Formats: sequence, structure tokens, C-alpha cells
Amino acid sequence: MSTKILVANRGEIAIRIIRAIQELNYEAVAIYESPDHESRHIRIANEAVWIGDGPCKDYLSIEKVIRAAKRSGAIAIHPGYGFLAENPLLAKACEDAGLIFIGPNSDVIAKLGNKVTARKIMAEAGIPMVPGTENLSAGDEGLREAAAFARQYGYPLMLKATAGGGGRGIRRINNEKELQEQYQIARKEALAAFNDDSVYLEKLVVNPKHVEVQIIADNNGKTVHLGTRDCSIQRRNQKLVEIAPAFHLSPQLEEEICQTAVKAAKAANYTNAGTVEFLLDSSQNYYFMEINTRLQVEHTVTEMIAGIDIVRTQIKVALGRELLFGQKDISLRGHAIEMRINAEDPKNNFMPEGGKTISVYQSPGGYGVRLDGFCYQGFTIPEEYDSLLVKLTVFGWTWNETVDRLRRCLTNFVITGPKTTIPFYMNLVKDKDFQNGNFDTSYLDTHQHLFEYEEYTSEVNKLARLIAEIHHKGRNTYAS
Amino acid sequence: MTRITTAMNTAEVLKTLRRADGYYITNTTRDMSQSDYKNRILLHTDLLAAPAREAAGYFSLEITGGASVHVDILRKQVDPFLKLQLLREKMPNTLFQTLCRGVNLFGYRPYPQNVIRLTVREFAKYVDVWRTFDFMNHVPNMTAVFEEVAKADRINEPCICFSTGPEHTNAFYVGKVREIIAVTGEEIILCIKNHGGLGTPKRIGDLVDAIKQAFPDLVVHYHGHNTDGNDIGRVTAAVLNGAAIVDASDHAFTGFYGPPPSLTVIQTLKDYDRAAIGINEEAIIETSDVMRDQRPYYAAFESQIKGFMPTVQIHKLPGGAMGSSLEQADKGGFLKQMPDILHKELPKVQAELGNWWSVTPGSQILWTTAVSNVVDGERYGNPSGDLKNLLLGKYGPFPFYQPADWIYEKVFGEDWKELLAREGGLDRVEDMDIEKERATLQELIGQDPTEQQLVTYLQHPNDAVEFFKFEAKFGRSYVLPPAIFLRQGGFALGEILKFRDHSGKEHLVEVGPSQTDKKGEKNIFMNVDHNQRLFVFEPEVQAGNAAVAKLSKEEISVLALSGDIRAPFKGNICEISVKEGQKIEKGDRIAILEAMKMQTPLISEVNGTVAAVFGKVGQALQPGDKIVKIGPAA
Repeated sequence: MSTKILVANRGEIAIRIIRAIQELNYEAVAIYESPDHESRHIRIANEAVWIGDGPCKDYLSIEKVIRAAKRSGAIAIHPGYGFLAENPLLAKACEDAGLIFIGPNSDVIAKLGNKVTARKIMAEAGIPMVPGTENLSAGDEGLREAAAFARQYGYPLMLKATAGGGGRGIRRINNEKELQEQYQIARKEALAAFNDDSVYLEKLVVNPKHVEVQIIADNNGKTVHLGTRDCSIQRRNQKLVEIAPAFHLSPQLEEEICQTAVKAAKAANYTNAGTVEFLLDSSQNYYFMEINTRLQVEHTVTEMIAGIDIVRTQIKVALGRELLFGQKDISLRGHAIEMRINAEDPKNNFMPEGGKTISVYQSPGGYGVRLDGFCYQGFTIPEEYDSLLVKLTVFGWTWNETVDRLRRCLTNFVITGPKTTIPFYMNLVKDKDFQNGNFDTSYLDTHQHLFEYEEYTSEVNKLARLIAEIHHKGRNTYAS
Repeated sequence: MTRITTAMNTAEVLKTLRRADGYYITNTTRDMSQSDYKNRILLHTDLLAAPAREAAGYFSLEITGGASVHVDILRKQVDPFLKLQLLREKMPNTLFQTLCRGVNLFGYRPYPQNVIRLTVREFAKYVDVWRTFDFMNHVPNMTAVFEEVAKADRINEPCICFSTGPEHTNAFYVGKVREIIAVTGEEIILCIKNHGGLGTPKRIGDLVDAIKQAFPDLVVHYHGHNTDGNDIGRVTAAVLNGAAIVDASDHAFTGFYGPPPSLTVIQTLKDYDRAAIGINEEAIIETSDVMRDQRPYYAAFESQIKGFMPTVQIHKLPGGAMGSSLEQADKGGFLKQMPDILHKELPKVQAELGNWWSVTPGSQILWTTAVSNVVDGERYGNPSGDLKNLLLGKYGPFPFYQPADWIYEKVFGEDWKELLAREGGLDRVEDMDIEKERATLQELIGQDPTEQQLVTYLQHPNDAVEFFKFEAKFGRSYVLPPAIFLRQGGFALGEILKFRDHSGKEHLVEVGPSQTDKKGEKNIFMNVDHNQRLFVFEPEVQAGNAAVAKLSKEEISVLALSGDIRAPFKGNICEISVKEGQKIEKGDRIAILEAMKMQTPLISEVNGTVAAVFGKVGQALQPGDKIVKIGPAA
């Protein structure tokens, strides 16, 4: 009987993982909830297990995922990103059920998932940190601790949910008054969202660059990095565009950050693939932010410049193999950019366009182009899940070549039905600051003109619209 | 026997024409479109005919000007400049000709000098021959165009507009020619513009002869219309008496009010030993063979009344106005009164207003006045703004005599003499701030306009903006054949429509099923290049106003007395002259309404303050629709 691996995820990342599984000559088991019944990840998997009506609650059910794995005879589970990926209880349940969890062990996930614990580990290892508090005490005592911290470091500050992540559970505090107003609200929200009302404070680094390092470690303590990524272009702390390697870093600084990341991973006894995130301020100081204990959406850009299949490596490491390469074997070449093509209306605050049917899907291809998507012509986008349709990743030898290629790909990328981020990205690739690599996390706020575009309609569809109108009205009212 | 081509400069063209042993032909396809197809012949058809027309060896192709610039953007949704560019690609040798209305350019009322000059400069990049006229034959109204055309080294073709009647003597016209030459010199082509197809062959022969006697070296171009079915006779007489160029067009499309068929002209004159120079008869035949099967798609735009109209000698309407006049009569429900209007009232109005030339915009003034006189029942009781301007001499001096005092009194009231003394005479139209207009257009279309877009905008601001918006929404639709663009009654299920877009790409649209959903939205499915597409249309608004009892003319006037200004007739708002909260005095202009190309100001009957503005510029109104409400003075 062939080796089966269950993919505890959906959408494009499920397909990404299924591809790696199938390339390793294993069989991929998909799971799905009812709203996803037409999703392409089910169709390309070797088998599929329906786990419930959802939405989301079944993908989030450790019990159902474990049961699906057991029932299908899978020996391992890949959690992808989101859903249960960073929930230490899934890793624990796998360990208890004799399944291999493709990722770090539950203890590492738990420690790094708790921001305060993570900070403690990193501080002890001498990793540079943004000044911050421990978990604030409950009640007024916590507020007093916060005020004291604010007096020492000044505003603005970030109030963060200890159990938050992925940009959620974070709020900016500009002054004493806001601190008083927001503190209890933040606690309540954290409780509702993460079932844990712990919050802590951090000094806010103003308009930083978001730089992260891909690391990968085997079970024998060999830890390497695959270079940096810049994920500064974000909206509401959600990444939109990711670049590898990070921009405008001196080779010394880049090397230092990468070595710091490896050191951080080692300090946490990290295994499998992970991402060490840093904030880089305008004076080139960098601060440890967090370690994401999972595969990241933007891993594709690293794969393009490193030539290493991260998911394949993850699976092999999880199955107990050694890393076949050391740091010296890794050479990073060229540039890669990934854009998340979402079914969203950027003009309307990136409002999701779920529920709409894709009537035309024509994707670009050619040299240096990679697509990680899951939709197809005729596919109705479920409203229940996130709005990512496809990741467009391009590679080029130079930055300019990469941007040119990106522009070409966007021009030839036709998705009709839902509004998408494509026309917005078209504006972005034409922006001088983007072309020159001048962007930090304030980029979208300071480049509002990017939101001024016309929805692209091809010439033939414009004419077809006129023909439809002539047909509908029984005559051409523009000619009579 | 030299064909004239774009490779020649103005001097060479004129030299060739003077030496000609025979005559040349201008293909007046623009005039044919305007006279017999309500201006709707599409660029698609002209492009189809272009290679054969190029081979036919015409002196020129009259392809732009007249009302066509306006209709290009208003009804054909094509950029008038792009049209010329695309035709030029297919017709590199044939001269392109326009018809320009002097100070009125391609519109209906005088433009500022700087707009005229800019417009001529921009069009002169594509147009070789500039036929320019003024409906009062008032030469100063044409001088700005003459100057710009000469500067661009293009060919000036000034017109004498021709009509009939006791005043219209050879001596008068020879005098007019002299007046023109005094301004332009003899390095021109002189056009006899017989826009109604008036007079007999003998009359035209005599006139050409008289002009040639007076100016033996002058190149004469005869332009006529076949409204009475006898233009071949006039063309023949013109050539036999020395005209070097005559107008005709393709027989597959000739109708009743436009040019005669060029092949018939050639065959007739051959028998008089007059050769058509440069002409390839086979190419003329081929042109019609290529075009013929397109004609049925234009049926809806052909005349409501079939047959030649020899009574044109009585009513004198120009061929270019026949189609639109009959259409208005049909839509306005007064088709039955047409004999009265055409054969009794119109000649009477002509004589009363000075027996000048019934051609744009004068023909519209005569026509509107005659219709109003008959339909409203009170002669000169409802004068248009343009009639008032005419009487005040805003278009130029009356060439023969001023209308009778009673008409002035009827139109302007008892104090007309003071008014005429105070306001009479040619208006000096102030130059426009063109950069300001450019900025306005930039704002309206959301991008920097091209020079050509600006010129188009300056001609017809509202319609140009609508056209730019149309193009942004529907693309370059000139690529659609009349079988699609002018289709009546929708397409058949499964019908496959093929066309090539502006970038040269072939496309295929298959018409799918239509269904109406619960909300009343119509869903139309189509396969576009093998991708299924859905087009959704909102339910048609069942005219809620239709349920409201129509206001009578009297009721509308009564409401106006209480400050409730409503549209007195069907038309478009071309100006709202007031803002909410503005103080108004009796007699102030509130808005300008345009109908049948005539603008009429709406005047406040009360003092007060503007309480509400309901109308918007460009809006089409039905009689009784609200425009402005004036409340008590604040």
C-alpha cells in the first residue's frame, strides 16, 4: 500500500502541498467541508474525505482531521497555513495518535505561539527585541503596568493579544487616553477571538519594513536559512506583495539578520520549516517579532530564488530524513515577487467578492512565472473562506527584469466575474517607488493614487456588452 | 489626362485642373449619407468601399464635415479624426474633402475665432479640400477658415450658395464671386453649392457660363442634389459650360435627396465627348458591388417618403435636411401637415424672411419657423432663439431685403426698433479660454485629452463627453458592421457574429439565451471567444411619468407664472443658467433648451429666488418636465 499524507487545508495551499506529496510518489488525501465541494484541491488529490458542513468549524476540528487521517490510512498530516497550522493541540493530537505532524513538535509550537514565552526565549538567546512587557496583569493592575511602560518608552505603542497572529489582535495606541479606552476592549476581543484574554504592550516601530527569514531544520539539529523576504506591502497588517530577497539590505546586514534567525531557531529547538520575522526601522535596526511555526503563503518567492522545494523538504524532514544540503550549498539567485490575487475590491476597502462565479480565467505563463491557485472558469467562490484565488510569483535575474515580467503577467491575466486585486497591482507595478524598491509598511497609506484605476475590460468584452445591449433593447440606442 | 492625387501641392492641383481636357468627379459620400441615410452610413461601410473608391480615381472623396462630425460622435460613435486616419491608410492617393459652415464650422451657430482656427488646423492634417460656405453668402463669415486653410497649404473651395427667385441673378452671383476672390485670390476652387438641387439645367449652365465669362481661369466645382431627379441634367449643363469638377456618388447607395450616380454622369457626358479624367469605370462599378449588400441594414434610416421630390423647387429645403425634416414630421406626428408646411408655409416664410439661402443653419430656422407657424397655429407666435438672432442680424446682413416690420414687432414686441438698434448686427464672439476648456475636459474624462479630443469637445461639448464615455465603456465600435451596429429587433439565438477589433484581432460572439429573473433583471448569455459571458440589464423603468397626465402648453405657461419652470417642448437642456439660492428677476434667463438643433432660452416670468434645480445639462426632457422652481424672494 502506498504512503498517504493528509492535507489538513483547502484552496491553493492544499494544492501546493498535494503537488509535493504526489511528486514524492505518495498519495494525497484531501479533506473538505460542504461549501468547498467544487474546490479543485479535492479533484487533484488522490482521495478526499468530507468532514462536515462547515464552514470553517470542521477544518478547525482537530478530532475530525485526525479521524479523517486515520480512516484514510494516512501516516502524516500537513497543516498548510491558517486553520490548525499553528495550533499546538493538532501537533499534540498527531503525536498521541501516532501520526506524523509535518511541522515542529507541539511543544515548540506552543512556546513560540505564546508571544510572551517566545520573547523570553529570544531575549535569553540575545536576539534583538522591540521593547515590550510581559503579559499584562488582569484588571487595573495591568493598566498601571501599561502606563508605566508607556512612560518609559513613549507612544505610539502596540497592544497585542498574546495568542493573536497573522495581523489579528493588534491595535495601535497613540496616547494615554487611547490606552485607557482600548485596554479592556482589547482584552475582551482577545478572549472572543483566541479564547485567551492575555495582552501585552510593545513599543511601536514607526513605518518599519517587514523582513523575514525562511529557516528549515532537520531533527538532527541542522538548521539553515534560505534568505530573506520583504513583506512590507500590506493592508491592515495583511500581506499583499512579497519579495525575495529583501530590498536595499547591505550584504553584511542581510547576513547578520539571517544568522540571527538561525540562532533564534536553534534557541527554540526548532525543527522543520519556519519563518523568523523582524521589523527593520529606518536606521537599519532590526527587532525580532515572532517565529511563524508553519509554511507561509509567501514561501514561493524563497523557492524561486533558492531553487529548493520547501514543502518537499518539510515532508522529508518530518519523515525523519536529514537535510541533504548545508548552508554552504545554498545559493540565492535573482529576485522573486509574489502577488496575492484576491477576489476583493481594493477600492472598497478590499471587500471580499465571495459568492461570485468566475466566468473567464485566463492565466499568464512562460519563463519565470509560477502560479499557485485553485480556481477555474465556472468556479463559484465560496463566501465562507478567505479571498485568495491565486498567487502569481515571478522570477527574474535582476529586479527590473522581475518587475517587467510581473507587469507583463498582470496585463495578460484575465479573471472576470469577481473584482480582483489585478488592476490595483497593475497600478502598483507602474509606481516609481515600487519600481525603485522604496516601500515600507506605510506604502499603501502613502500611495493612495494606486486605488485610482478603471476596472479592466478587454476590447472584445466591451463590444460584446454593446452587442448584448443592442440585443436587449431591440435596437442600438446609441445610433438612433 | 492626369489623375489628381495627394502627392500634388495646391498649386499643382489647380494647374492640373485648369489644363484639364474634361472634368473631374468628387464622390460626395458624406452628403449622400446625410441626405439619404440621416447621416448614418458607418465608417465600416466606407472602409469596405475604400479600396475600390481609391482605385476609382476621384478628384476627392467628400467624407467629413457638414453634420457628419456631430453625427459621428452622436449616432455613429466614431471619432471623426480616427475615421479620417483609418480611411487615409486605405486611400493614400485620394484627396479628402470636407464641408465647412464658415463661422458655424460643423455646427449650427458661430464659434469663437480661436476655436475656428484650432479646429481647421487640426482637421487640415487630414483634409485636403475645404469647401466652405455661409448661408447668407456673407464672405466675412468665412475668412478665418480661408486663412487657416491657406496656412496649412490645403485647397480652399469657397462656395456661393445658390437659390432661385427674382433676386438670384447671374450678376448677383458674379458679384459674390468677385467678393470672395478679393479675399482669397484666384488660387482656389469656386463651388456653386446647389444644396437643394434648385433651378433647371439651363439655369445652372447659364450661371457657370456667366462666372467663367467673368473669371476664365477660375476652377468651378458644381455641387448639386438629385431631389427633383434632374441633377444629371444640371451636372451636364455645368460641365458643358466649363465646370471642372462635379459631384456624384456610388449608385448602389444613391437615393432621392443626395448626389446622383457617378456612373450615369460619366455615361451621359461621354456622349458629349467629355471625359471623366482619372476615372476607372470598373472600379466605380466594383465599389457599388462591394457596398450593395450593406444597404438593407440602413433601411431604417432611409426616407419615410419614397420618390423624388420635384416640389423642392417650391419649398427649397436642402437635400441634407430632407431626411431629418421628414423624420421630425413623422416623430412629431405632423407628417400629414407636410404638404401645407412644405408647399405653402415654407415658401411664404422664405419670402418673408428675405429669400436668402435655405442651407444650414438658415434652413433649420426656416423649417422650424414654418413648422411652428403651422403646428402651433399662430404665425411667428413662438419664435426660436435662432430666429431672433437672425432678425437681429447676428448671422450677417440680409443680402436682399430685411423682413417686414410686422414680423419684427410680432417677434420682439412694440419696442423692436430700439432693440434692433441696441442689439442688432454681427456679434463679435469672444475668444474662448482654450486652456480652461482643456482643463474642464480633463476633469470630465479623467485623463489628459488629446488635441483631437479637445477639438471634438469644442465643437459639441456635451455630446463629445458622452462619446468619450461611450468609447471607454464599449470600445471602438466602428469595427462592428451595420448588420450588428444597426440591428433592429435583436439577434437570433445561436447567431454567430464575427468582427475584427481595432487592434486587428478576430472575435466571435455567439448569441445565447436570455432570461428574466425574479427582480425583473434581464440576463443575456453570450459566448465571447468561446468564454461564456453573462450580461445583466436592469428592468426597464416603466415611464412613471407616462401615468401622470400630460400638461398642456397652456398649463405649462400658467405654471411658469408661478415660478415653476417646465419644459415647454421636447428637447435637451443645453444650459442651466441659474444656481439654487440665486436671486432672480423677471426676464432673467433660467435655462436654454435645444430642440431640432435650435436653442431656445427659458425666461423667468417672476421675481424670486431659485428654490430647486431639477434639470441637468444634457438631459432629454418631455414637455412638462420640471427644470427649475423659483420661490419667493429670500
